Amino acid sequence: MAEAQRSCWIEEHDGEVVLHLGGAWRLAALRELSRQLGGPGGALQAVTSHALPAAVDGAALQHIDTAAALLLLDALADAGADPQQVALRRFDARHERVLEVVRSRFADTAVAPPRLALTLPGRVGKTVADGAELMLGHVEFFGRTITEIGRALLRPRELRVHELFAQLGQVGVNAIPVVALVTFLIGVVMAYMLGLQAEKYGANIFVVDGVALGMAREFSPLIVATIMAGRSGAAFTAQLGTMKLTEEIDAIRTLGLSPAQVLVLPRVLALVLTLPLLVFVGDVAGLAGAMLMANATLDIPPQAFIDRLQVALSPRHYVIGIGKAPVFALFIAVIGCRMGMSVSRDTRSIGINTTSTVVQGIVAVILLDAIFAVIFQELGL
Amino acid sequence: MNTDAVIEVDGVVTRFGSQTVHDGLSLQIRRGELVALIGGSGSGKSVLLREILGLQQPTAGTVRLLGTDMWNAPEHELAATRRRFGMMFQEGALFSSLDVAGNVATPLLEHTDTPPELLPRLVNLRLTLAGLDAEVGAKLPSQLSGGMKKRAALARALALEPEVLFLDEPTSGLDPITARAFDALLDFLNRDLGLTVLMVTHDLDTLLSIARRIVVLGRGKVLADGSADEVMAVDDAWIKSYFSSRHTVQSATVPGSADGT
Repeated sequence: MAEAQRSCWIEEHDGEVVLHLGGAWRLAALRELSRQLGGPGGALQAVTSHALPAAVDGAALQHIDTAAALLLLDALADAGADPQQVALRRFDARHERVLEVVRSRFADTAVAPPRLALTLPGRVGKTVADGAELMLGHVEFFGRTITEIGRALLRPRELRVHELFAQLGQVGVNAIPVVALVTFLIGVVMAYMLGLQAEKYGANIFVVDGVALGMAREFSPLIVATIMAGRSGAAFTAQLGTMKLTEEIDAIRTLGLSPAQVLVLPRVLALVLTLPLLVFVGDVAGLAGAMLMANATLDIPPQAFIDRLQVALSPRHYVIGIGKAPVFALFIAVIGCRMGMSVSRDTRSIGINTTSTVVQGIVAVILLDAIFAVIFQELGL
Repeated sequence: MNTDAVIEVDGVVTRFGSQTVHDGLSLQIRRGELVALIGGSGSGKSVLLREILGLQQPTAGTVRLLGTDMWNAPEHELAATRRRFGMMFQEGALFSSLDVAGNVATPLLEHTDTPPELLPRLVNLRLTLAGLDAEVGAKLPSQLSGGMKKRAALARALALEPEVLFLDEPTSGLDPITARAFDALLDFLNRDLGLTVLMVTHDLDTLLSIARRIVVLGRGKVLADGSADEVMAVDDAWIKSYFSSRHTVQSATVPGSADGT
């Protein structure tokens, strides 16, 4: 019975070397078959180069699939025999057909040499070039969007009012809860942290100055813009990217409409219009949080807080904070739309571009904020 | 285990809300058959295919694939059965993050113990079996044409030496030359490698050249079942108009199987 367990063995008949196959040759047993065939002590290891197998005998074979047939031919080739010349003997007709099918394709399965991977300088160069190309694309898209905005201002009739209002709802109204919650909590934390320090000097009331100035001028615009870069910027990329993939954008073009006007402009305008309003929501929520905290831990009643606010918060700071918002919005929206429009033909790139949008959006917001800080410093505002 | 019937659909009922798609549908497919499933839009061809594959649960009735009850068997039995069939989705459903070779290698890497030095050769064999050049393996799915995507999807479906091959509209969206080559390919897989093939198709040329058996779905049941001639003889308005949309295809030749594709 030991004979039946073996998958392959060599026999010599009249000086001719014959490889016998037995049992079931299946994909699932490929490693074991490979070991018995060409491994140490395997059937083909015993074969010397001047006595290569001239034939394969399949009388004892129960099953063979294409993967196992490939293994057999590959092992024969490795041993030095020509798989195309080896005779097949006493095979079941079905088994022989499988072997012939694989044999006729054997030459085509040869593995091509691996392509050279980029070296480190090559990769650095490619990254820089890709980055430059991305920025150039952004600048071009930015220019085109500004042109579209100008055109819409000259001819307001062409503006897609319906789409604009839909976006205003999605981008603005629906974002109020998350914006209010986050800025409220920031207000609470700021009042608490400033209070810890101010209390030491008995300067509790100046916490109002700190929170009001910080919130209105820096934190509220920065935090709300960051939230919107993650929320709306990512949404723009995912929406437009999916539309690009399903050829909806091409359909818009072939219907004689401009995707910039139908898709991009309403989104950009919606974000530019709503971000200042959301920053205002953030200002109010942040101050409310601070007021709550001041009342609870610093013995500043709400009335005193509001009175101090009138003195501490000059309109200048508030206007600067609100005024930064449309600029942030423009960058977030343009990046989001452009990354959506530049999705390539596969689903994977939607994910890549959406991630990239969020990163670029947040970096752009912080970079712009720093530039604003320097400019206002120089202007003495 | 009944080795003869590979697919057994018994009394399947499928409802979506108030709409009944299958109303007690039964069907048996034996090993080695090449069966085409046809029917009008909304007759539940693709739904039936998904129910057989275990992707969508029927409202009532049983589906057995390779002896496994696809909706009551334990998970380990289902997992074992899933390795014994291949499915080619209509749009290919190739993994867009992997190149074609990676797509074909995925089931081999996950489910077999293939020696690493043989793996690239095996992937190339699958590609050539599906009628692609081995060089295509280095391309990404997004770089392929529709016909090549379908072939790459077929190569992936063939990766694990399936006993049963399912195809959803294998020739839709292909030009007639490519479509006929695809037919010949399926015929070869069925005849020479002994695969059982079940496909949803609307291609009359496919039906009349390679399908040994045609199953017509309609009104929630099997309206007709048999060879092309038998199905065409059935007195049903939909079947009549379906086959009369083309008259000249009966003489279509069956591609030779010995020479492969």
